[in-house]
Amino acid sequence: MFKGLSGLKSGVAALAVGVALMASSAAEAAKVRIAFGDIASVESLHLLTAFERAKEQGVDIEVTYLKSEDIAAQAVVGGQADIGVGGPYALVQKVKAPIRMFLQLSTLRFYPAVNAQFYKTWKDLNGQEIAVHSRGSGTEAIMKLMEERQGIKFSKISYIPGSEVRTGALLQGNVKATIVDAAGRRLLETQAPGKFIILPLEGVNATDEALFANTAFLEKNAADVDKIVEAILTTWREVTANPAVVTEWRAKYKLLPDLPASQASEIGPYFEELAKGKAFPLNGGGATAAKDDFAFYTLSGQLTGEPASLKVEDFWDTRSLDRVLAKVGTK
Amino acid sequence: MIAPTQVDSQVSSQVNGPARAVHSPAGRGLGLGRLFARHPVVSRLVSLGLFFLAWEIAGRVPISYAFPTFTDTLYAFVTMLADGSLVMAYGSTLQPLIIGIAISGVVGVVLGIVMGLSRMAEWLVAPVFVVLQSAPMAALIPLITFVYGIGLVAKTLAVIMLALPVIVLNGYKAVRNANPSLVDMCRSFQGTRLQRITKIIIPDASPVIFAGLRLGLAAGFIGVILAELLITPTGIGDLITYHRSVANYAEMYAAVVSIILVSTLTLAALEAFEIRVLRPEKRRG
Repeated sequence: MFKGLSGLKSGVAALAVGVALMASSAAEAAKVRIAFGDIASVESLHLLTAFERAKEQGVDIEVTYLKSEDIAAQAVVGGQADIGVGGPYALVQKVKAPIRMFLQLSTLRFYPAVNAQFYKTWKDLNGQEIAVHSRGSGTEAIMKLMEERQGIKFSKISYIPGSEVRTGALLQGNVKATIVDAAGRRLLETQAPGKFIILPLEGVNATDEALFANTAFLEKNAADVDKIVEAILTTWREVTANPAVVTEWRAKYKLLPDLPASQASEIGPYFEELAKGKAFPLNGGGATAAKDDFAFYTLSGQLTGEPASLKVEDFWDTRSLDRVLAKVGTK
Repeated sequence: MIAPTQVDSQVSSQVNGPARAVHSPAGRGLGLGRLFARHPVVSRLVSLGLFFLAWEIAGRVPISYAFPTFTDTLYAFVTMLADGSLVMAYGSTLQPLIIGIAISGVVGVVLGIVMGLSRMAEWLVAPVFVVLQSAPMAALIPLITFVYGIGLVAKTLAVIMLALPVIVLNGYKAVRNANPSLVDMCRSFQGTRLQRITKIIIPDASPVIFAGLRLGLAAGFIGVILAELLITPTGIGDLITYHRSVANYAEMYAAVVSIILVSTLTLAALEAFEIRVLRPEKRRG
C-alpha cells in the first residue's frame, strides 16, 4: 500500500514537472535549453565559458543540471530540452531515437592505477581482481580492451561507482588495481607519491561527452547550433594553447562563484594536465571520432553489430561542424 | 498509526463482503458481475489483462522511445529468467533484505513490546522512530556510505532503516491497545504481571504485530532497491541501471516488474499465512 502510494506520488510529481516544462517551452520557444547530466564543476568551466561566448553572439541559452546522462538524453528525446551533453549511442541504435550528435566535447580520460607494492605492469594483472565504475561503463570497456590487447585475463571485475570513491579505496588499500580520472590521478600522486603506478594506456580514443540534439531541432536552428559549435571549438583551442586562461574566464563570466578555495586552486593544474594530454578535441570529433567510438562502444556493449557496418550518419549530424570548420579552419 | 488503518481496511473489507452478496441475487442480468463475485480470481485476471492490454497499446503508440511494449517486456523477462541473470540478481538482492528483515523483526518486536509496556521506554524511544518513519529515506541512504562504506553492511542498514520503524511502531501500538477487558479479567483472576504479559497482552497483540512485520517486509523491499540504486548497483539494482545505461528498456522494465512481482507475491503469501494462522475469524467463507 505504502509502495503504491509513493509510486503514485512520484508519478504525479513527474507529471507536474512535465507540464511545467512544457508550459515554459511554449512560452519561450526561442530559448536553447541545454541539459547537463551532471552538476557544474571545475571540469565543466571551459564549456560554461563557451556557452557564455555563444550568448554574446546572440544565442539565448538556458542550462539545466540533471542527475545523470541518461536523464539528460531522455529530456532531449522527450522534447523538454534541446541539446544534451553525453554519448547516447545506445539510445540512437537500440530505440531509434531521432537524435544525433554534432560535436565531440571530450574523449575518455582515465588512468589505470595499481598499487606498486603488488603490481608493476599490465601482465601482473593477469588473474587479478580490478575495480571499475559500473557494468557497461567506459572504464569497464577500457579495461576489457586492455585485457584483450595485453593477452591477460582478470579474475574478477568489481563495480565501484565514482572515481573519487575508487581513488579513496586505492589509497586505503581496499582495492589494489582500478581505474581513476585525472583528479584521482593527481590525488594519488600528491597523497602517496611513488606508492601507485599508472599503467600505460594507448590508442583509447572514445567520446566521453558530446553535444546531441533532436534532428528536427538541428534542421530548424542551424544558425544557433553553428554559433555554439564555433564558440566551443575556439574556446577549446584557446584552452589548449593557454590552460591558465580558464581562471580568468571564471572571473570574467562569474562562473561557479561559490567554488571553495581548495577547488578553485585545482582549476589551473586540471586544465594544464588536460591540455598537455591534448584532451580537448580541436576539430570537434565528427566522422573520425564516430569511427573510433564504433570500435570502442561495440566492445563495451553500448553498441551492437560489426563496427564496420555502422554508419556515421545514423549517429552524427556533422553538417554544422563542417560549416564551422570551413570557417575557422582545422588544426 | 498503521495499526488502526490496517484494522480499518480489514473491517471495511468485511463490510464490503456482505454488500456484494446482497447485490448478486438481484442482478440476474449481470452474468459477468455474478461470475466475478463467485470467482474473485477471474476478476483479478481480467483486471490484470486489461492493464497489460493498456500497456501494450501505450508501448505501441509509443508514449516514449524508452517505453517498451508488454510483449517485449515479457520476452525480455523470460530471456533473463532462462539465462539465469534474474536468478543471480535475486541471489544478491535477497541477502541484505533477509538479514535486514531478520534483525528488524527481532529488534523491532522486542522494542515494540517493551515500549508498549513501559511509559519510560516509550518516551525514550518512540520519538526516534516516529521521526525515522516520516524522514525521506532516499535522502538519508547515501549518507550511510559515509560511515559504513558500500558493502553488505550499508545495504542491510538501509533495509533496517525502512523496516524497523514500521515494525516497532506497530508492535508498540498493538501492545498498548491490548483489549482492556481481557487485561482486567487476568487481574481479577489474580494473574501475575508476567502472566498478564505472556498469556494475555502478547497473544492479543500478535495479529497486529504480525501485520507490522508484513508491512516492515514491504518497506524492506523498498529499502533494498533504494540501496541498490543509490549505493552500489548489485542484484536487481544492477540489472535496472545496466540495462538503462545501454538502452535495453525492455530488460530494464522486466527487472522492475520482477521486483514488484516478487514483493507482491511474498506479501500475499504472508497475508494468507496471517489470516490462516493468526486471524481465523477473518477468513472469507
